[in-house]
Amino acid sequence: MKTVAGAAGGFAKEFTCLRRGAGFGILAFILLVLLTGEVAWAQESAQSAEGDNGCLVCHGQEYLGSVEVDGAAQDLFVGPEAYEESAHGLLPCASCHIGFTHDNPHQMVTNAEFFAETAREACRNCHADQFEMYQQSYHGELSRGGVAGGVLAPGCTDCHGMHQVQRVDTLEYRQDIQQICGQCHGGRTDTFLDTYHGKAITLGREASATCVDCHGSHFILPTTNPMSTLSEANHLDTCQTCHPDADEGFTSFLVHIQPTSTDAPLIVFAVAIFYISMIVVVFAFGGIHTLLYIYRGLKNGLYFGKGGHH
Amino acid sequence: MAAGTDALEGVRLVYRRFSAFHRFNHYLVMISFFGLVLTGIPLKFKDSLWAEFFMGLIGGVEGAGFIHRVMAVFNFTYFFLEMGYMSWYVAARKGPIFGPDSIVPSKKDWQDIKGMFRWFLGRGPKPRFNRFTYWEKFDFWALLAGTFLIGGTGLMMWFPEFTTSFLPGVSLNVALVLHSNEAFLATGVIFIFVHFFSAHGRPESFPADEVIFSGSLPLDHYIADRPAEYENRLRAGTLDQVVRPAPTGPMTRVNSWLMVVFSAVALFAATYTMLLVVWPLLF
Repeated sequence: MKTVAGAAGGFAKEFTCLRRGAGFGILAFILLVLLTGEVAWAQESAQSAEGDNGCLVCHGQEYLGSVEVDGAAQDLFVGPEAYEESAHGLLPCASCHIGFTHDNPHQMVTNAEFFAETAREACRNCHADQFEMYQQSYHGELSRGGVAGGVLAPGCTDCHGMHQVQRVDTLEYRQDIQQICGQCHGGRTDTFLDTYHGKAITLGREASATCVDCHGSHFILPTTNPMSTLSEANHLDTCQTCHPDADEGFTSFLVHIQPTSTDAPLIVFAVAIFYISMIVVVFAFGGIHTLLYIYRGLKNGLYFGKGGHH
Repeated sequence: MAAGTDALEGVRLVYRRFSAFHRFNHYLVMISFFGLVLTGIPLKFKDSLWAEFFMGLIGGVEGAGFIHRVMAVFNFTYFFLEMGYMSWYVAARKGPIFGPDSIVPSKKDWQDIKGMFRWFLGRGPKPRFNRFTYWEKFDFWALLAGTFLIGGTGLMMWFPEFTTSFLPGVSLNVALVLHSNEAFLATGVIFIFVHFFSAHGRPESFPADEVIFSGSLPLDHYIADRPAEYENRLRAGTLDQVVRPAPTGPMTRVNSWLMVVFSAVALFAATYTMLLVVWPLLF
């Protein structure tokens, strides 16, 4: 009984902040929660994000389901713990979900384009500089065109995530970047991960270069664009960020090649194929030689002294 | 017993195969090779379940990189000592460059290979080996060439700015592919397919051969394992150059212990490598 009373107290506190119109829904929900016996858990999640205005009372429930937005299912669940641990964990929901109220259903979510537009505006409110750079980037340009080759250009949340947005200077995020870029640039991720930079970041060396350290992030441009960090004019400067002693020859190292592909430079391809052949031949010959040697040794009783010289 | 050893009746005789210099060099190779493989292989097999775990144990990528470079210096030391020894051997005419006692491959090696396969299949007698068998010559020259190639490309990647000050950037692509594959080849040859077996696992040496630690092996073992060298020496009367009373004193015990310790390390290193290499193939 004590827990139930405590929970009721908790909800009462929330309740004072709520608009009157939502009252009935919340009351019904409290009843549901009490009936399903998840009192303590619900109390915790309802209070988790400071100033969440009660959004998580409903959206903290995994069984809330999803709504259809332009034909795609939009999950309505927001993990309270994950949100709290995110870089935005202390922000109230409405600081990004601008103008959202307790009207149920939330009328404003009508289509995906509107949803994306709102999200961008929300990011812009605090991160105006990054947003401006993004607008001028290739990704930004594509986003205004709507569709690039049938693929939607990434917006803020495609790279940064939404409710689980992370600080970008953590090892975890720097390791994740490769996979994030790889959602659209998969082959490039694979070749990068085979370089020293890729191996080292995978195994936890935070100081290793990732995609964005060379290609740039918000202001990313095709390498053919003179403004790109990897354009002919800027390539060396970009390398020198970490390798101050590098000179022009350094920039012709090829990050995105698959050595065993015929697209690789001939010398790289030749060395790769030579070694694969050597490895196969030497291991096969050595393996067969060893197995036959063991066979003969056992057969002649050489291993256990009979006929041996031990 | 052989002529020239009669005076040593009643004394246990051994065949002295490796000088202190060669044993010292082998220690350098062993320690540096283990160190290099242990710190390098997780990088090559970064997707293996074990890679991150092992990397954590050896100080992360940066710690492992530091150990790798220290071990590389040990490895270069062995390489230059061996090259220096070989140059001196040739320049000072210490002995014949070719011939039955030489490490240089000869026609007999090819015959021995064919002979061994006939023996494996029960179609002939076991070849009578000289001082170095064909697999020992392979080990030696493959290691020397491999050290040059892996060491050279390793230095290129250790100092990438310097390398590309006179070579195009693609040289680093070549260096990475060569370093990684040659190292994998060497690891397979040493740990799995050739060296550990031919030195310790073959029936004549099983379970372990102490010769690289103590420098000598029992005379009967020598006569059975290298009959051609024995007969040559018997005929030429040079047996007394290599046969001597078994060493006594504390060093023999130390050598035995070192053999046990290094055998254990070798077994661990082979298991470690197999976990990293085979695991991703299975799962």
